Amino acid sequence: MSQELIRLTNLVMEFDGERVLDSINLYINDKEFLTLLGPSGCGKTTTLRVIGGFLTPTSGDVLFDGKRINDVPAYKRKINTVFQRYALFPHLDVYDNIAFGLRIAKLDQREIDERVTEMLEIVSLKGFENRKVTSLSGGQQQRVAIARALVNRPKVLLLDEPLGALDLRLRKDMQNELKRIQQAMGITFIYVTHDQEEALTMSDTIVVMDKGKIQQIGRPEDIYNEPKNAFVADFIGESNILDGVMLEDCKVKFFGRTFTCVDKGFEKNEPVDVVIRPEDIDIVEADAGHLCGTVTSVTFKGVHYDTIVDFKGFKWLIQTTDYCPEGSYIGIRLNPEDIHIMRKSEYSGMFGDYSSYSAEYDEIADAEGSEDET
Amino acid sequence: MKRKWLSGPYVLWMVLFTLIPLGVVLYFSLTDSMTGEFSLSNLASIVDYWPIFLRSIWLSIFATLICLVIGYPVAYYIAHCKPTTQRLLQMMIMLPMCISFLLRTLAWVALLEDTGIINNFLTSIGLSPLPLIRNNGAVILGMVYNYLPYMILPLFTVIMKIDPRLIEAAEDLGCNRRQVFAKVVLPLSVPGIVSGITMVFVPAVSTFYISQKLGSPGTILIGDVIESQFKAAYNPNLGAALSLVLMVLIFVCIGVMNRFTNDDEESMVTL
Repeated sequence: MSQELIRLTNLVMEFDGERVLDSINLYINDKEFLTLLGPSGCGKTTTLRVIGGFLTPTSGDVLFDGKRINDVPAYKRKINTVFQRYALFPHLDVYDNIAFGLRIAKLDQREIDERVTEMLEIVSLKGFENRKVTSLSGGQQQRVAIARALVNRPKVLLLDEPLGALDLRLRKDMQNELKRIQQAMGITFIYVTHDQEEALTMSDTIVVMDKGKIQQIGRPEDIYNEPKNAFVADFIGESNILDGVMLEDCKVKFFGRTFTCVDKGFEKNEPVDVVIRPEDIDIVEADAGHLCGTVTSVTFKGVHYDTIVDFKGFKWLIQTTDYCPEGSYIGIRLNPEDIHIMRKSEYSGMFGDYSSYSAEYDEIADAEGSEDET
Repeated sequence: MKRKWLSGPYVLWMVLFTLIPLGVVLYFSLTDSMTGEFSLSNLASIVDYWPIFLRSIWLSIFATLICLVIGYPVAYYIAHCKPTTQRLLQMMIMLPMCISFLLRTLAWVALLEDTGIINNFLTSIGLSPLPLIRNNGAVILGMVYNYLPYMILPLFTVIMKIDPRLIEAAEDLGCNRRQVFAKVVLPLSVPGIVSGITMVFVPAVSTFYISQKLGSPGTILIGDVIESQFKAAYNPNLGAALSLVLMVLIFVCIGVMNRFTNDDEESMVTL
């Protein structure tokens, strides 16, 4: 099953001398759900557009089924795209939008009819054939866009932040729907998003990107549990990232104390970044804790409380269902498997302290992230 | 609507200078020029001018089609230029519009006359002069020259607004460049085509100066007849009747054309 379908080798993309993609090396297996994840301007959409044939890379190769396709124009590739904000044809109705590619391929009307009808069923839009696309809701337009691409039975479907414009509820439904369609039709999906939760939910493989470079490639669990550097740790989920020193295998020292962890293979006394996920921290009585600190803010988040605790000037985020009032003095305990060790990188020291954390912070970051990057 | 009064001045303007004059035209066309009594004779005598109506319409249709054929590629080209080039080209297209309509037409006379610049040049190199003026061709040329900008500008605006992602989507779905144009760009420029046609055809069909200067008595247009009824023949009643019929004909033409576009598609001129 996992046969290689697409390979990018040393891909470089420059616009007006500015390097947008910096030696991207990546292979994508057949029938895989691969997500390119990263903040605005990280190069994920550019990578997708290179694969789709809308951009010619400055250097490096794009291989499809082992053949170099750098110079093959978009319309000759067995790849279809679901565009950001859909790009449906406003002068055509739902049926004609979906049938567009089949008509270009000059299929006979009977087959077009069959395949469009089948597609409408898959995206649950039966009965919408003659509706104008401009009269549809965002979610419906989204599904027309998916149908329009999938009806051509491409080897690969590219999806460029397809759920960005939908509300949360609809987005969750569509995530499941997309995953179901992908598995049912056995098509390779290459999905671009800035939403880490979306990436974790749907992907077989996640490629985390920033500043035109790949930061980490791995399964969702690996990316979350074993982030390679501070950027990945901070971008995927919330993280407390602190300076530490690896004393020996499975022994790490931070905040002046030595903790047992499960990581090996570091140099003796190598300086490292230590990641502790806010949901992994157990709150205990002050005298029973590994570390003790003062609660400086508590925000109710529905499922849990976001509790900020000050440990010797470094503020930690702890996600807990136990309510600790502001100002209380508490202790925490860390289990060895909750302590993740990363090598130092250019991102060390940039993330992980929650001194400036506020409840609104998330929403602001999201609003920035949903802007266009092209 | 609280801000309804904002449209007050315009409504007043419309009533004073559009609706009332229309009423006056209607009144004149339905009354006898001598007695001032109600009469259908003005409208009935339209029959005599029918050939002139038809000539005006087909010359204008011809001129409009030429404008479209010339204007579309130009508009398409400008729409795909860099913004700075776009502004420059737009200026160039608008520039003739800043010069008096009369002057522009007279300039063509100077060029096309039997002893004009072109024919003088031809005779000077030993060729025989050509009959360039006082025919249908010269009238159409005058119309095309004067009204071409009104075709290009709405087309340019509409082509500019076509979302480039739609073109990418069409390529993605297997269209080569020719198919992209036929299946996406052209259908989406229909509103611009309709606006352009309307904005060229309407002034062209009612024009009068162009045919007087570039045409001959045999190419007289309905605009000329209407003008002469008011200025030379002193029969405003017939002139009013002629312009009323012209107005109706224009409405019919535009109505037919708008049938070719979907009702809810936005066009710059709607009725």
